[in-house]
Amino acid sequence: MNIKEYIASGILEAYALGELSANEREAVEKNLQQHPALREELSIIEQSVEALLMQAAVKPRAEVKTKLFEKIKQETAAKVIPMPPTSTAPWRYATAASVAIALLSSYLAFDYWDKWKKSETSLTNLVAQNQRIAQDYNNVNLRLDRIETDMKVTSNPDFTRVVMKGTPNAPESIASIYWNEQTKEVYLSIQNMKALSKENQYQLWAIIDGKPVDCGVFDSTVAGLLKMKEAAQFPTTFAVTIEPRGGKPSPSLETMQVAGNVAKV
Amino acid sequence: MNRLKKKDQSALDYLFDHYSGAIYGVIFRILKKEEIAEEVLQDVFLKVWDRIESYDSSKGKLFTWMINIARNQAIDSTRSKENSKSRKTDDIDYLVSKIDIQEHSQLPVDAIGLKEVLQQLTEEQQFIISQLYLKGYTQSEVAEEFNIPLGTVKTRLRLAMIELRAILDIK
Repeated sequence: MNIKEYIASGILEAYALGELSANEREAVEKNLQQHPALREELSIIEQSVEALLMQAAVKPRAEVKTKLFEKIKQETAAKVIPMPPTSTAPWRYATAASVAIALLSSYLAFDYWDKWKKSETSLTNLVAQNQRIAQDYNNVNLRLDRIETDMKVTSNPDFTRVVMKGTPNAPESIASIYWNEQTKEVYLSIQNMKALSKENQYQLWAIIDGKPVDCGVFDSTVAGLLKMKEAAQFPTTFAVTIEPRGGKPSPSLETMQVAGNVAKV
Repeated sequence: MNRLKKKDQSALDYLFDHYSGAIYGVIFRILKKEEIAEEVLQDVFLKVWDRIESYDSSKGKLFTWMINIARNQAIDSTRSKENSKSRKTDDIDYLVSKIDIQEHSQLPVDAIGLKEVLQQLTEEQQFIISQLYLKGYTQSEVAEEFNIPLGTVKTRLRLAMIELRAILDIK
């Protein structure tokens, strides 16, 4: 073989580029083994390409390397260590091993199933508990909001507090009125009023110039402050009577439960 | 090399630090998209890692082996990308040339060193070197695509390589 011509044909370049067919490649590899000059030429070609591509390098972002090594770590961890082959009666060991593995895995399967069931139950409980706590929290929040609003009224010096004490009809009963002279607003707060039948309701009256003016109806269950109808003028007295549900235009004075006079400022 | 065959990760670390740039350059010039090129680069190094036992140093340098894996992987990727996009023929010649025509003007920032090297070659030689080594064409693709007889492609490459070794000072 003429080495010079062989080299000049460019077949080694094609070989280094990985462009040859399997047959051609084998032939080149055979020739390489026989002729050191070919090996040397190939080495020079490869070095040239390497040097060229080093000049043309583009640096990849650093994450690529991090990701690559993470992946390799995962793959290495996932690989199973092969069992060493045994020469003496391998089937015995194999049978024993498979029975043992079967038993072990059934046990483990049951164990995991059991654990899974248990954790599922506790998860359900936790979810329910979580919901309850969230509801409680919302309720507390609502109450807090109401108390804050009430506080704005009770702590406002523009509101006059009128205590309505029990009449001989209901000596135990007691309720309060917060009345604002400027805005005419009226708030009611129950300290103690007895429960009424479903047909009846309490009705608040403001006595203005000796005449009772309707300020709205309420039930005994009111918590906190209840906003009532505004009292248009300066009332001398607030009083509560028992009326049919919905109230009446004029009070049944004989049922009066509580009453209190407004202190003249 | 021995450390690499024994699956010593520090050897792969070294390999990556030294050669990822050159390999990524080849992949990037073929694929032109950073995301895909990065993925292919990762696949190439995974392949190198998994198949290191099959590398035979009597048949060529490790770098040559890796670059050929990279080139094949990148061309495979253009093929699958084009296939899923347009369902056209999977003719590599067609695909490679199509990509090249589409993105001909915006070749990636070739290093200044590379430009200096290439400028010392004749235009014909520059062309053949960049088609084969930088853009991932095969010799027969270049011949077909640009209407140059395959024999001429081979001679030009041969002459370019002889020039190159002088420029790059390889003995």
